[in-house]
Amino acid sequence: MYYPLVNIGYIILFISLVLFIKGYANKGKAYVIFTWYLGLVFSVQIISNILMRFRVHNLFLSHIYFIGQFVLLSFFYQNLLKEKRQKKIVTICLITGLLAIGIQYAVDPMVFYKFNMFEIFVTSFLVIIYAVMHLYNMLNDKKEYYYINIGILSYLAGSTILFFVGNLTAELSPKISLLTWTLNAFLLIIYYLLIVYDWNKSFSKKKLN
Amino acid sequence: MKINPVYEKEIVSIILYTSVFFIILAVVLIVFFYFSRKKIIQKELEKKDLEIQHQRAQLRAVIITQEEERKRIAQDLHDDISSKLNIVSLNSHLLKTPNLSLAETNEITNNIIELTAKALGNTRRIAHDLLPPVLDKFGLHAGVEELCAEFNSSKAVNVSYQNNITFNEADKEKHLHVFRILQELMNNSVRHGKATEIKLIFDEVDGVNRCKYTDNGLGFDMEDPKNQNGLGMKNIESRVDFLNGSLAIVSAKNQGIDVLIHF
Repeated sequence: MYYPLVNIGYIILFISLVLFIKGYANKGKAYVIFTWYLGLVFSVQIISNILMRFRVHNLFLSHIYFIGQFVLLSFFYQNLLKEKRQKKIVTICLITGLLAIGIQYAVDPMVFYKFNMFEIFVTSFLVIIYAVMHLYNMLNDKKEYYYINIGILSYLAGSTILFFVGNLTAELSPKISLLTWTLNAFLLIIYYLLIVYDWNKSFSKKKLN
Repeated sequence: MKINPVYEKEIVSIILYTSVFFIILAVVLIVFFYFSRKKIIQKELEKKDLEIQHQRAQLRAVIITQEEERKRIAQDLHDDISSKLNIVSLNSHLLKTPNLSLAETNEITNNIIELTAKALGNTRRIAHDLLPPVLDKFGLHAGVEELCAEFNSSKAVNVSYQNNITFNEADKEKHLHVFRILQELMNNSVRHGKATEIKLIFDEVDGVNRCKYTDNGLGFDMEDPKNQNGLGMKNIESRVDFLNGSLAIVSAKNQGIDVLIHF
């Protein structure tokens, strides 16, 4: 069950990446940043998969994934949010978040070799805050990146705890630990589907005009 | 159950992180709720403000119409009645002059009789214009029938009227509003729309009275704010408001006008 789900996730992610690259021109900064984000996620997935096949330790990639996701989504929301105060909040969150994680690595470099719960925690909830701010803006504004926003919100809320348990599952028997990762793969598929859906809804029509 | 101390630390931190994560999620949710509520309330206030503005405009229209009506009545009284009564009074004084021949007396008396008759007719006409007695005595159907007949008699326009409702006597006040709306519509159709055909149908749909009014006149551009804020339109709107009804107007340049009133 796990591997097919992961592969489906890869395929949908690849489709959304291709779609976003295809419509790269004149869609605004947020679009470009999100395309880069998809590129990052896709490369991390592929590289970790390759490393796993060669039986190389690939957990360090999770730090690239979480921090890269945090930074790119911060920029993404900074471009998306309209109010000056909200932009400021994003900037402050980005700087303090990176600073806090940096300090943690300076104090305890060993966390580099496992799932860093503090890092996961900080990056996830800050992005959730951005997503909620964007949701708030869309209460009476036109819907921009609505489904992507919903996807980010639900995926992060769901997956963060699964990553918390990550270190523990590494010690458990593979049969049981796969259960949490299967759930994660399932959440990812929903997230990627929402991205494709959003692209289809917001950007495919404009291309026709 | 014995737990490996390494696991123990791991599990405890997982639990801590998870609970903090949920607490933050809850706080975010509450803050979101708080601000959303504020935003919604603000929107509602804006909406209410708009409503109040609309009502004010309606009230203004009512007052202006009232003043205009008074002016018109004053003018009618002055032009049609006072002037005639003046001449009657003059003639009556003439009667007092001594040594009048019979023929002169006759002429003066005839003058007086003729003028009084005219003044009387005018009074009746003014009163009729203000409130048609037929409407008052025989109800909306008869009133509208008479209104249509009046317009038809002018030969400029052909009004067809069809009524499928028996109006309730108790709703007389409502009917006056309906009558006034129709009066306004017909006046507009003839005066501004230069219509030659007017169709008027009353029927009942699902227990709600419906009035369908169409003409073949010039119509108007619905987008033009000048047409939306006219006094006549405002007046019709206020009356529909009084009726607790709904009003739908569809028109375009050279397409005539379609009005649907539920009441």
